[in-house]
Amino acid sequence: MRFVRTMLAVMAATMLAVVPVQAQEKTGVKPGFTLQPGTARIVLLRPSIRVGAQSTAGMFEPNADWTQQARENIGRALAKAQGQLGNTVVDYVEPVGADAAALAEYQALFDAVAQSVIEFQFFPGNRLPTKKRKDQFAWSLGADVARLPGLSGADYALFVTTEDHFGSTGRKVLQVFAALARVPVTAGVHKGFAGLVDLHTGELVWLNADLQMGGDVREADGADKRVRQLLEGFPGRPAAATVVASAGR
Amino acid sequence: MRLRSLFLPLAAVALACGVPAAAGNKLVVAGQRIAVAKSAMTVLPTSEWNRLGARPGRAAETWTLDGDALNDLTFYGGIESGRPLFREVSRKTKPLPTVSTTMLVTDIPALLENSYRIALGTASMTIGTIEPATFAGAKGVHFTYSFVRQDDTLRRRGEGRGAMIGGRLYLITYEAPALYYYDRSAAAARQVAESAQL
Amino acid sequence: MIVRRLMAAMLAATAVAGAGSAAEKVPPLPPYVAAYEPTNVDERGAWMIADEDERRLRDSADVMRDPALNAFVRGVLCRTVGEDRCKGVRLYIVHVPAFNATMRPNGMMTIWSGALLRLRSEAELGAVLGHEFGHFELRHGLADFRNRRSGTDLMAWASVLVANSAAFQVDMVGGFYAFDRAQEKAADMIGVRYLAASHYPSHAAADIWDRMMGEADATAIGRHRKPDQRYAAGFFASHPTNLARATYLRSAAAELPDADGSAGVDGYRAAIAPWLPMLLDDQIRLNDFGGSEYLLGQLAVGGWATPLLFARAELYRMRGHPRDLVSAAGFYQEAIARGDAGAEAYRGLGLALMRSQQVEPAKTALREYLRRKPDANDASIIATLVAS
Repeated sequence: MRFVRTMLAVMAATMLAVVPVQAQEKTGVKPGFTLQPGTARIVLLRPSIRVGAQSTAGMFEPNADWTQQARENIGRALAKAQGQLGNTVVDYVEPVGADAAALAEYQALFDAVAQSVIEFQFFPGNRLPTKKRKDQFAWSLGADVARLPGLSGADYALFVTTEDHFGSTGRKVLQVFAALARVPVTAGVHKGFAGLVDLHTGELVWLNADLQMGGDVREADGADKRVRQLLEGFPGRPAAATVVASAGR
Repeated sequence: MRLRSLFLPLAAVALACGVPAAAGNKLVVAGQRIAVAKSAMTVLPTSEWNRLGARPGRAAETWTLDGDALNDLTFYGGIESGRPLFREVSRKTKPLPTVSTTMLVTDIPALLENSYRIALGTASMTIGTIEPATFAGAKGVHFTYSFVRQDDTLRRRGEGRGAMIGGRLYLITYEAPALYYYDRSAAAARQVAESAQL
Repeated sequence: MIVRRLMAAMLAATAVAGAGSAAEKVPPLPPYVAAYEPTNVDERGAWMIADEDERRLRDSADVMRDPALNAFVRGVLCRTVGEDRCKGVRLYIVHVPAFNATMRPNGMMTIWSGALLRLRSEAELGAVLGHEFGHFELRHGLADFRNRRSGTDLMAWASVLVANSAAFQVDMVGGFYAFDRAQEKAADMIGVRYLAASHYPSHAAADIWDRMMGEADATAIGRHRKPDQRYAAGFFASHPTNLARATYLRSAAAELPDADGSAGVDGYRAAIAPWLPMLLDDQIRLNDFGGSEYLLGQLAVGGWATPLLFARAELYRMRGHPRDLVSAAGFYQEAIARGDAGAEAYRGLGLALMRSQQVEPAKTALREYLRRKPDANDASIIATLVAS
């Protein structure tokens, strides 16, 4: 039962992207989870990528050229990063027919879980009391996710979602006026989540999720930066410890 | 594009009011009988839950384990005659059906079904089985349902237990994605619903 | 997007009424370009989103995939706009109980199940599909998006600059609708062209709007609201805007050479018949007593068939005022008397009587329901009502 609230939230996000000012966490790792370099086979699902501009009112204007650029740039950046993740990362072969529908439902479930992590764990003011306990990070897609075709023999699945709305000039000017009127308005939405799912248990062992990411995915350098941020603290990477310490921005 | 245009009036509200106030979610501890939905209905959970600060309606409240998109246990505490189950998106263009004192137990699942069909804009909402059940000491109903939200691919399952008591509707629903989440906390949700008293 | 724009037309009669003069010239059909590709950033963006939506729709549980029904609807589209144009369209029948049809710039057309319930002939269905195809051929999706963008820009400014922007809001919405009306008219005019070129009679396009307007007014009255003041000459009085639309469509039809073909009333009815109970059930669950009652009355013009009687009985029982329950019981009995009612008619009769405190006749009817449908999904709870 979340009709009205969801709609208000959607509207707030679409129309005016009013973002809580509180500090927000960006990374979660299942307590005690470690991944040794060179021990796991990871399947990278086709990243979900959308890029467009945000007009003054915050409406998303899709831009196919940008999305195509971003897909190429992020693909290249991911391929580059894959080699540095300390484990074998292979691209997923897309299924067709009924299997495609099953995959789509799991991707919808991953998005719902990632959104819930952001809404109910990463935002301290809205955190669920049962998720407040120290070092807790208990989220899952269920063990049956491993039954998706093409995942046999893999240890982990890596989900990646990015959505960018670049602020238009009009929006940036509005932001200045709004600041004078004390209405918080952000220019642009740059959200991304990357999550690692243990295919033996279905557990989300690592999630990096942020509604305000850096890196202009329309450019190669920016995509590198975005992928770097998305994969910040990625477990099992050589020298991962230093990156975890700098999680956030 | 269509949806967005329908939302425009609502957008104005959102723009005018800003974002809904921060939630204030509270821990529901195990082993203590607690009143729910601002009503005389009480339940005794044997495991922990979270009560969301945002309420679906005046005489309703929602508990969850992982967020209401993943598991949603909602209590309707004595909805009186003439009132809808939950807050209406638009009383003018999408009014919800209302409770009536003369409702039979078999009308309870129909009320939930029709309310969801209107509020979620989906004809996919269907009722599964409907059985007799004792609810809060009264002759009531237990039923199952399923639906997919408009523009979504995630199938959701649900079940409800309710009764008409003193001319008011008392109802507890549990719903979650059919993938993994529904089965995972169905037992805990059932335990809470079956502990209901008035 | 027919209904929203129809409502738009209702909201502001002026523009369309002005446009309704009989001297309207019907533009010729534009030359058809197959395999059109998007040409600029906005257009490519709109296509990309439409492609993604289509990928999602293709797997959606809301799509009605019955081959016979799809072949029928597609056949009407092809006979209306011609085989060449028809090839560029992917048509989806979507299970949503409202009168609507949509066209996306990439060639994805939808028609909603609520439209199938409201149309009466192949020619009327062709008019709706041809209208939507007109948006496609005229590339309206894109202009629509551009217009909406500037509209919301203004609203965002208003929310910051104007303390109470409610009045402004109304003007903006009017702006959208004015824009929509112009497009609707263009699509109407090209739609009637397709009809004229087909073997369907081209006046069918004009026939739809009376019933739509009547239903909208009946909905308002059923919700204890006044129908829009500007049309409120009486419940079934004619509507100026509706007349305007019907008038320009009729005059356009008269101006065009037309084939003598059949409107395809019987074929339409036969194709929809297997789906009628479901479509009616969707409708009566919308908590729209006035609109549903009007619609049932329209469908029953040729006589109250059993599915219509049953749906009407359910509608009255769901509203559930004491008098409604009496009416409902009467309609169930009429349906049963026709000899081809389903077991659910006995269920409804029993429940309506039970709510009216007629316990013994109620139990008799419910027992008959259980006898006819022992494995019903609610058999056990109905049994407790019988035993109580």
